[in-house]
Amino acid sequence: MTTIERTVLGAGIDRVDGAQKVAGRAPYSADVTYPGMVHAVLVRSAVAAGAIAGIDASAAEGAPGVLAVITPYNAPRVARGPDSGFWRQPPPPLQGLDIVHHGQYVAVVVADSRERATDAARHVAVFYRPGEPILALDDPRAETVRDPFGSDQTRGDCAAALAAADVVIDAQYTTPDETNNPMGLFTTVAAWDGERLTVHDATQWPAGTRAALAGAFGVPEEGVRVLAPYVGGGFGAGLRVWPHVILAAMAARMVDRPVKLGLTRPQMFTGVGHRPATVQRIRLGARRDGMLTAIEHESVQPSAVNDDNIVEAVTQVSAVGYACPNVTTRDIVRRLNVPVPTSMRGPGDAQGHFALECALDELAYEIGVDPVELRLRNHADVHPGLGLPWSSKALRECYELGAEQFGWWDRHPTPRATRRGDLLVGYGMAGVSFFWFQQPCAARASVDREGRAFVRSAATDIGTGTYTVMTQLAAERLGLPVDRVRVGLGDTDLPRAPMQGGSGMTASLGSAVHDAAAKLIQAFLDLVAGDIASPLRGRRAEEVLAEDGRLRLRSDPACGESYREILERHDLAELTADGSAAPATPQELGLAPAGPFAARFAEVHVDADLGRVRLARLVSVVDAGRILNAKTARSQIIGGTVGGIGMALLEETVTDPATGRIVNGTLGDYLVAVNADVPDLDVTFVGEPDRFNPVGVKGVGEIGLVGVAPAIANAIFHATGRRIRSLPVTLDKLL
Amino acid sequence: MTFAYTRAADAATAIATVSADPQAAFLAGGTTQVDLMLKDGVVAPRRLVDISRLPLAGIAAEAGLVRIGATATMEQAAADPHVTRGLPMVRDALLAGASPQLRNMATIGGNLLQRTRCRYFRDPAVDHCNKRIPGSGCAAFEGVARMHAILGASPACIALHASDLAVALTALGSVVRLRSDRGPRSVPLTELYYQPGDDPQRETVLRHGELITEVEVPLPPQAARMTYLKVRDRASYEFALVSAAVCTIVEDGLIVSARIALGGVGTVPWRAWDAEEVLRHAPVGEASFWAAAEAAVRRPFTVPGTEFKVELARRTLVRALRVTTEHASEVLR
Amino acid sequence: MDEITVDVAVNGRPEQVRVSADVTLLDLLRERLGLTGTKKGCDQGACGACTVLVDGRRVVSCLTLAVQADGREVRTVEGLGGGHPMQQAFLRHDAFQCGFCTPGQVMSAVALIEEGRARSDEDIREYMSGNLCRCGAYPNIVAAIREVAGR
Repeated sequence: MTTIERTVLGAGIDRVDGAQKVAGRAPYSADVTYPGMVHAVLVRSAVAAGAIAGIDASAAEGAPGVLAVITPYNAPRVARGPDSGFWRQPPPPLQGLDIVHHGQYVAVVVADSRERATDAARHVAVFYRPGEPILALDDPRAETVRDPFGSDQTRGDCAAALAAADVVIDAQYTTPDETNNPMGLFTTVAAWDGERLTVHDATQWPAGTRAALAGAFGVPEEGVRVLAPYVGGGFGAGLRVWPHVILAAMAARMVDRPVKLGLTRPQMFTGVGHRPATVQRIRLGARRDGMLTAIEHESVQPSAVNDDNIVEAVTQVSAVGYACPNVTTRDIVRRLNVPVPTSMRGPGDAQGHFALECALDELAYEIGVDPVELRLRNHADVHPGLGLPWSSKALRECYELGAEQFGWWDRHPTPRATRRGDLLVGYGMAGVSFFWFQQPCAARASVDREGRAFVRSAATDIGTGTYTVMTQLAAERLGLPVDRVRVGLGDTDLPRAPMQGGSGMTASLGSAVHDAAAKLIQAFLDLVAGDIASPLRGRRAEEVLAEDGRLRLRSDPACGESYREILERHDLAELTADGSAAPATPQELGLAPAGPFAARFAEVHVDADLGRVRLARLVSVVDAGRILNAKTARSQIIGGTVGGIGMALLEETVTDPATGRIVNGTLGDYLVAVNADVPDLDVTFVGEPDRFNPVGVKGVGEIGLVGVAPAIANAIFHATGRRIRSLPVTLDKLL
Repeated sequence: MTFAYTRAADAATAIATVSADPQAAFLAGGTTQVDLMLKDGVVAPRRLVDISRLPLAGIAAEAGLVRIGATATMEQAAADPHVTRGLPMVRDALLAGASPQLRNMATIGGNLLQRTRCRYFRDPAVDHCNKRIPGSGCAAFEGVARMHAILGASPACIALHASDLAVALTALGSVVRLRSDRGPRSVPLTELYYQPGDDPQRETVLRHGELITEVEVPLPPQAARMTYLKVRDRASYEFALVSAAVCTIVEDGLIVSARIALGGVGTVPWRAWDAEEVLRHAPVGEASFWAAAEAAVRRPFTVPGTEFKVELARRTLVRALRVTTEHASEVLR
Repeated sequence: MDEITVDVAVNGRPEQVRVSADVTLLDLLRERLGLTGTKKGCDQGACGACTVLVDGRRVVSCLTLAVQADGREVRTVEGLGGGHPMQQAFLRHDAFQCGFCTPGQVMSAVALIEEGRARSDEDIREYMSGNLCRCGAYPNIVAAIREVAGR
């Protein structure tokens, strides 16, 4: 394990891509244009089940500027792309007449302007043979899939432990469908050059998009280039390769022109996934002193009839969150005529923590043990499933420091006991044990004769700060100032990288950059190995330190030379090295890989008459291992928390129970938090560098959201004495 | 959607142009019209006559009235000294609506004529909407409702009139000045809108080609206290779940007069005449307030998603009455 | 239908374009004038990503017809250059993440200051609520504006 000095790393430097973004000069896929580019607009199904009986496209085809109307009747055959290793590709679009959800694409109109394509699309007449859609989770016709993610756990004997428990908490919690809604409308620009395809896309995983497109169109992967240097947010919606991406490439091929296809906001509700609703039942068994003896956690969520969500293991937190000898977790999927769900910031864990952390709160009140104390008593000192020590864990510190900073111990323990005028004041808290995720990743690093580094990988920065923290990491490893390091991302011509997802990118890519930098330094040492002019000749990497644009002996700061000197002497413009990394197994390291941990403390004010809830303040204490950039990491936690406020109080995607149509599919009707909903948020990082990867990081991208909803719901209980077990907690539930 | 666009040189020309073409419509701020035409695709006039630059944006006070020109923007009206000083409730209702960007575009006349936010109305994929397709039914009544009306609603239509401004203006007894090719006329705001009844596609008494030119708002006496209280899920930038516009005059512990309108509950901005009657000469106090609240929301028409509005409307009105009878004007956001 | 001539000054530069009536100011800027700094986040006036100043007032350009901008002065994020104090404050306070809503936030914040509505954090929050940020940078946006307002 390398020791990293906190020099460049950790500093809260400004985002390296920030100047571009504040100037409006960062090019998102929607900003790309090509000579001769035309525009595609989608037509969506107005029924949720059944089949297309016919399409009259004549009016649209005859409309001014229209180049093509693509329907299942004339669409070229495309294949279902190869499995990604995590999920199957969505079924390719326009390959048949069956309708499986409201909003499914049934036609594409291509015209010389967006306005003309939009207008013509309204004149495509689609006739349906409607079926009877299955839309309710409890519809007996729905197909049931047990253990859909292979994540169900059984430890000990839950039934016996529940029967023997002093106290049993048995409650049902529900969370609604929520829609990711990144601000950037997903837009794909596709341009063919013979059998070569270039695609500019809003994706979190360019390599995944490339593989899917190559598979769909039967062209070699090397001939497909996917570019996503800037992505207007994703929150999971950009993980998969959605039908509109295939359709953009299909349309471009059919009209033999570059095509831009931008989704509308309503289409973002049906075409790029969403967080699935859950109906969860939790049974906790405990002794009078609060020691947990049993956790039984079952969750039912919907998926599509012809497609699967990616891993959305809602109940897994119950298997790892606390030291409890008897645990049973069960995830169940039921197939409905709905758009397929997908990961949304904190997938599974966001919903699972709501149920588990609220149930613990109920237990705390039931037995009269403080909620923080209850969690401390049940702290999982080792990984409850693997029995191995955690690679890092500072959750106790999160609880203790958070309680201190929040002023938790001043809280009146009785619900509905604190009132200021019309407002009921409540304090609530929740603990968070987020999952671990890391993937194999490659990166390439070069240093040139000007002493500038270029580090690149086909990863993306969707607002996560990846450009910035990788710049800092490479600068630190190569001994260069940050302004001499450039990071390239979002291009499949660069070394292969995994998805920006699962809060795993910093560990995955950071480990690869770490390796590439080490290999690059080794390449410099190899170059001078027999170089009589070099003070570093014959030296091993362990003896050498990179610092101030040069390599020098650890033992003798004066003995060394700069990258520039080496390259000039060898008449090289630059030196390049490829690096890669893959996560170890727990058995190899004897460690349980730890995701980030956190504790959250919320104060809410509830209008006693009107039920209005306002979050007054929220304290987060987070163990995310090593923090590479204090500023961007804090922003990630704040941003996640804002998403959590939405989850707690506002967000719900509503589906019409009769037709399967999304009822509130606009940003005016689907409520995300606005500026006025968000107070100042307090964030503190604690903990040590994690031992599972050489950089010491754990993810910060999602844990900001997880645990916010239960902390707020628990605070609402404390304020009002009302236990609301369904999200969002809107005022009608409190009247 | 292509359409013809002309900018009217004066009001008479605008009125004549629209009157002459059954497929023409006025365009002011565009925040409703452009949205419904180009984005939702549920209305399709062939011609738009832009009235936003007509000299109808003036705001003046005279003889106990504030006259607000129809093409004044919401932000202009909210910043106008006559409004801020004499009609703080109107200012607060204006600023509680939409966002600063939209308020810089949307006009007073356009605000009054805004179309419902019902997502069953605003989606052409829905084929049961009596407002769009007379006789087709009401999918919202059968579907999922929340931002919908409980007063004036029926199985034929539960669409809400979502304006904040109109609620405040309704409470104050405002009058709308209209002009058409048949000349000018005045209509009390309470008579501008039709109840949906069996004919939800008819929304106002305006004839085709008739233009709102001005709103006359009576200035309440100095002794009056007023408030606009808006309750919603989000802290800002959202339509009301329930709102109450209340203007009261209290003398010696008795309510001399109360003017009340409710928002977020009615198919039209809802003047609560019965509640006003209950409060006339009633003593200030909880008993009077609750009696008024009961009277304000009598015989509601609810569907499962809107039932909570009955109690919420009552509590909101009681809160607003407490505010105006106990304190000076204030607004709760 | 016929195209209409629109004369509009964009960031001080006079432009004359022929557009059909159904083209919005947002699409005029992005698709015809190549000014892609102004973003399309909902296209229905519900997110504020397309905020520009028309004759000094902030509006959503997605619901403004291009023909309605005839004779007006339009200011977009490109018109701020990159060194505007508000842009620099956004950068320092990390008042954005993905950056997509940022041009609209910046334009709205510039207008907010000119409107004199940055007197308190509460005012900033209320009068910036027409600009959604899904990354959740609101507290940092408030901090950036507070700094520029000199409080």
